Amino acid sequence: MDLIVNGVRHTVALEAEMPLLWAIRDELGLTGTKYGCGLAQCGACTVLVDGIAVRSCITPVESVAGQQITTIEAIGEDAVGRRVVEAWVAHQVPQCGYCQSGQVMAATSLLKQIAQPSEAEVAAAMTNLCRCGTYNAIAAAMRQAAQG
Amino acid sequence: MTFLATPEAAAPLNLSRRGLLGAAAGALVLGLGARPAASQATPAAEAMPNPFAALLELRADGTARLQMPFVEGGQGVSTALAQILGEELDLEPARLLLECAPPGARYKLPGAPRVTGGSSSVRTSIAPLRRLGATARAMLVEAAAIRLEVPAGSLTTEPGFVVHAASGRRIGYGELAEAASAQPVPAGVTLRDRDKFRWIGKPVARLDVRAKSTGKMVYGIDLAVEGMLQAAVQHAPRYGMEPAEIRNEAAVLALPGVHSLHRLPGAVAVVADRWWRAHRAAETLQVAWREAAPGAANAMPADFSTRALRDRQQAAPGPGITAETAGDASGALKGAARVVEASYDAPLLAHGQLEPPSALASWNAEAGTLELWVPNQAPDMYLPVVARAAGIAPEKVTLHSPPLGGFFGRHFLYEAASPFPQAIALTKATGRPVKVIWSREAEFLRDAFRPAALVRFRGGIDASGLPVALEAEIVCDHLLNRTFGAPADRHDRTVVEGIANKVYAFPNRRVAHVVQRSPAMVGFWRSVGHSYNDFFMECFLDELAEAGQTDPFALRQRLVEKSPRHQALLAAVAELSGGWKRGPFTAPDGSRRARGIALSSPFGTEVATIAEVSIQDGRARAHDVWVAIDPGSIVNPSTVVEQVQSAVAIGLSSALLEEVVYEHGTPRARNYDGYPILPPDQMPRVHVRIIESGAPMGGVGEPGVPGVPPAVVNAVFALTGQRIRSLPLSRARFGRVS
Amino acid sequence: MKRLTALLAILVVAGSGAWWFATRIPASPFDGAAPAAATPLERGEYVARLGDCVACHSTEHGAPFAGGLPMGTPLGTIFATNITPDRETGIGGYTLSQFDNAVRRGIGADGRRLYPAMPYPSYARMSDEDVRALYDYFQRHVQPVRQANQASHIPWPLNMRWPLAFWNLVFAPTRPYQAAPQRDAAWNRGAYLVEGAGHCGSCHTPRGLAMQEVALDSSDPRYLSGALLDGWYAPSLRGDPNSGLGRWSEEEIFAYLKRGRNRHSVVFGSMMEAFNNSTQFMTDDDLRGIARYLKSLPGDPARDGAPWQYDPATRTALASPATLAASPGARGYMARCGTCHGADGQGRGEWIPPLAGASSLLAPDAASAINITLNGAGRVVAGGVADAYRMPSLRNQINDREVAEILSFIRTAWGNRGGAVTEEQVAKLRSQTNPASSDVIVLQMR
Ligand code: FES
Ligand code: FES
Repeated sequence: MDLIVNGVRHTVALEAEMPLLWAIRDELGLTGTKYGCGLAQCGACTVLVDGIAVRSCITPVESVAGQQITTIEAIGEDAVGRRVVEAWVAHQVPQCGYCQSGQVMAATSLLKQIAQPSEAEVAAAMTNLCRCGTYNAIAAAMRQAAQG
Repeated sequence: MTFLATPEAAAPLNLSRRGLLGAAAGALVLGLGARPAASQATPAAEAMPNPFAALLELRADGTARLQMPFVEGGQGVSTALAQILGEELDLEPARLLLECAPPGARYKLPGAPRVTGGSSSVRTSIAPLRRLGATARAMLVEAAAIRLEVPAGSLTTEPGFVVHAASGRRIGYGELAEAASAQPVPAGVTLRDRDKFRWIGKPVARLDVRAKSTGKMVYGIDLAVEGMLQAAVQHAPRYGMEPAEIRNEAAVLALPGVHSLHRLPGAVAVVADRWWRAHRAAETLQVAWREAAPGAANAMPADFSTRALRDRQQAAPGPGITAETAGDASGALKGAARVVEASYDAPLLAHGQLEPPSALASWNAEAGTLELWVPNQAPDMYLPVVARAAGIAPEKVTLHSPPLGGFFGRHFLYEAASPFPQAIALTKATGRPVKVIWSREAEFLRDAFRPAALVRFRGGIDASGLPVALEAEIVCDHLLNRTFGAPADRHDRTVVEGIANKVYAFPNRRVAHVVQRSPAMVGFWRSVGHSYNDFFMECFLDELAEAGQTDPFALRQRLVEKSPRHQALLAAVAELSGGWKRGPFTAPDGSRRARGIALSSPFGTEVATIAEVSIQDGRARAHDVWVAIDPGSIVNPSTVVEQVQSAVAIGLSSALLEEVVYEHGTPRARNYDGYPILPPDQMPRVHVRIIESGAPMGGVGEPGVPGVPPAVVNAVFALTGQRIRSLPLSRARFGRVS
Repeated sequence: MKRLTALLAILVVAGSGAWWFATRIPASPFDGAAPAAATPLERGEYVARLGDCVACHSTEHGAPFAGGLPMGTPLGTIFATNITPDRETGIGGYTLSQFDNAVRRGIGADGRRLYPAMPYPSYARMSDEDVRALYDYFQRHVQPVRQANQASHIPWPLNMRWPLAFWNLVFAPTRPYQAAPQRDAAWNRGAYLVEGAGHCGSCHTPRGLAMQEVALDSSDPRYLSGALLDGWYAPSLRGDPNSGLGRWSEEEIFAYLKRGRNRHSVVFGSMMEAFNNSTQFMTDDDLRGIARYLKSLPGDPARDGAPWQYDPATRTALASPATLAASPGARGYMARCGTCHGADGQGRGEWIPPLAGASSLLAPDAASAINITLNGAGRVVAGGVADAYRMPSLRNQINDREVAEILSFIRTAWGNRGGAVTEEQVAKLRSQTNPASSDVIVLQMR
């Protein structure tokens, strides 16, 4: 099957049900996308599929073949993504940083869909877990990125 | 080549010419460490592979690398150390590259344990690091003086340059590095005045946030080396059980990508070309597990349950091992106007760090050497155990300590709760480098949990409502014995911290540790004993206040009358929260709310915490948490605020949600679905006030944690009248509050 | 006085007649039969798979068929018995006739009546050959295990077994399956399996006041029309397009029983256990027979309503901030469920099942939807390989009200018409159930 990741087409031979996460990390070697739970609980594995945030650990690779997959490695190629990263840096969001690829991708997806989300919309979209408790910094960075 | 002969090893050594691994040519390399035992400058020594490495390497390109004795895991230590070193060296912190040093005495800072824990990194390393920076700067100045043919005293520095103001000439550190390395190491250096600090004490931006915001930070789980295979394990359902028959061995071997199957102690591993394939195959294995052999270490009985554990703790006979006494507690209790008795308990907790454990091992059979990458908080403790696991001498091991995707105590040395012995066995068995990753489920089955604890309190108050006597028997495992082999017949100070030696210093007191070993694997969890004891103590104090009809805040003020530091702290947190008000009161959104207060003294730092809660849908919700924190002095105020934010999150998570439940000898929850951690929609606003009282520097990473559960639980009592003595709060149901 | 004496006499006679009846051991076709040559292991094991004996008579960590599994009944907890060939605690001492009486008539070797948790009203349809094969399998190929049976927790007088004889008289058939001559062999094989060893009706047929299945074969339209049991709603297996198999093709039914999944659904709840331990081991021919048979059972439009149609409006609505702001259920769905099941409710291929048009969300009874939301799914093991995806348990993350809101939304989204779920329903099931194990559990047959 063909996987289009960050604009590059890869032809891969994988089990249909292999989670996209592991295709990205192990097959393509893009390790910015993280494994946290494998159960749609934490969001560390969030990537964009056709611009929408998806938890790649519960996405069978077969189901996104041929679609545009964006990982954190290409975040700088997206205007909204760049804005999110700058807000993250400005607000010094990451601590251990392990959840942050997923947080940045979830934020980017939201802002691509709703340029100026309300607090409630942010709360509804930003459900990724952070064991380091960076939630308030994330909220502050979101406010900045939304204004940008 | 010059070594400074300082027996205490407190001063820098010049290691520039020792051909250090990774040190660029022409670099000035300084180390703080034990002086070499052999005579230093013999030609033989020169020819030998260098037995030393160094903390600081100043490179020709003007950057510097610090091989720090600590590991970065989000607590901001790398930035703090860069601030400290940069301050004295006179180099922008951003020009400093910080990496966790390999194990070895030469990286150990004098007076600082080589352990990333106990909220100790900054406070133990600030003095030696300042001296290191100042020494390197002095040598650069000497080298510049020779180059410019001016007296050293006429030179100054500005970040990255030595400057001759009179002639307007300046030379970059990089250009001077080689020459500087030939300079004698000065015996004494002057340090910068505190009031001239540019970086220490300032909110310097953390150095790693951009890499962490763009997915570029490489964690242990991300590593790959040439020819690597990946492995997943199926753990025995209970510690001590060993694999017997594997019923579908052939079928699993035939699954896609599977390389081989391996029986390991307490586990069966599948090695495959891709981790997910290994993982799925490992889950698919049908293993018959043999019960633990009699006397097997850490064997978990089939009937163990946390419910029964709590009952046994309740029934465990006192008086236990005395940890602290003063006056005559039992006599004073007899004479007290009122005696309050209560028992509190707190459950086993999982670390829940977001990065699942992993270990990458590469065995070189010819050379008999092992290279190992494993997330860890203590390389020097790991090294001998790693070497033993590999069956080789420690010199044959290269140990790497990658940045941690969260730790909170998870990566201390718990040999049976870490994947590195498996990775070592597998690389030796396959002859290939092998990376073992524990699935989240495997991790929840094998984490070293925070011990469960129970306390039996008796408190006496006098006629004026002031507590005069306290008896506390804390029933808990002996963590120091189990982890470090400390004598079991002495109390574990981590088990009594927070109750013993409390600032309140009731005139009559007895605090004891009733040792009760639990079969669950236990470990250190952020703020250790404080994480439960401050909950116990500060809630029981509120019970004493209630019995004496005093306001809890006012009672604490009275109890710290003799400590100006604590008085200031209480005043600060009250002011930060807009003045102490306990409630209940009606918030602007119409909800009924109340506040609770707690005072704690963890890791050399003093903390006062106020929490405001309401009840929604029968559950407690924290809206605001105010924290006044006095670590004496600090290096980076924004890191301090971030650490308090983080500590509040995990402290609240433990108060509201977290609990490891065992049934039939196994933990029930194996992922975040069954073991929820604080989600974003339950995060309160956090308000922080930093106080620099000038007291000796305390810790920062953990101290924000322990005040949160009692502040929240005390607020819940103020609001509902329900006194919760057992965590988490999610077990309790609260009615409507009026 | 005379009349009283006569009445008493009649009562005594009737009573002793009844007693005789209630404790008698009926005849078996195997009475006095000479021991036949042993049937091959595979044949007997296959029948045991058809009957899914292992699911009830084994526990996760116990020896195969040693019993001990607790089963909740409305009267109290009973424990499955040891059916290993141990002579003292198992069935090692059973003759073929005694075994037959237990399997097909619900009568133990000592004459005691078995609780109809043992599906002997269905097993009664099994052929003599299958019963003999099963007997041989248990006697010769299962390892004897000494493990005493546990007494039930049913209080007196409900724990008296003899009245069950009368229950049997009314509710349990006594004849093996008789082929329907107008149907083809595949259909008849399917009927034999579904009505007999497969005992599908135990879960899928509604029960009457005496806990009996209201129908035991295809002649009755209530047979397999969906039922609530043990906290799960087993959907209709009839041609009902909403609550049943009306929209499933024969091939899709076959795939479901063979691989545990198709484009409509993935096995979960009790069906996951039936799949893990039984249906996937059936031959393709047998599964096709079952599919053929089930597809022949007509639905009941009066009960089932108009056929479900996918309504794309939900998807659009879920993309609108206004909808989300107005509907806590929709918000909760997007936060908790949408990442896997999608705003379109379609899931992901065969791996993550669709919620749009799922029978558990169209059926009037919401038990299955509530149960799996609270407790998550156990692990599906197909062809010996563990599933790649599983439903997490949400009981520790959302409260009863939130579960009710989310399920009320799901059960009315994308054209679903299951209707609202109340907080009380959720609270009740929460208190009666436990989270599913995330361990891969494979019960062994030997
Ligand atoms: S790893 Fe995908 S949600 Fe946690
Ligand atoms: S920054 Fe560590 S988990 Fe979020």
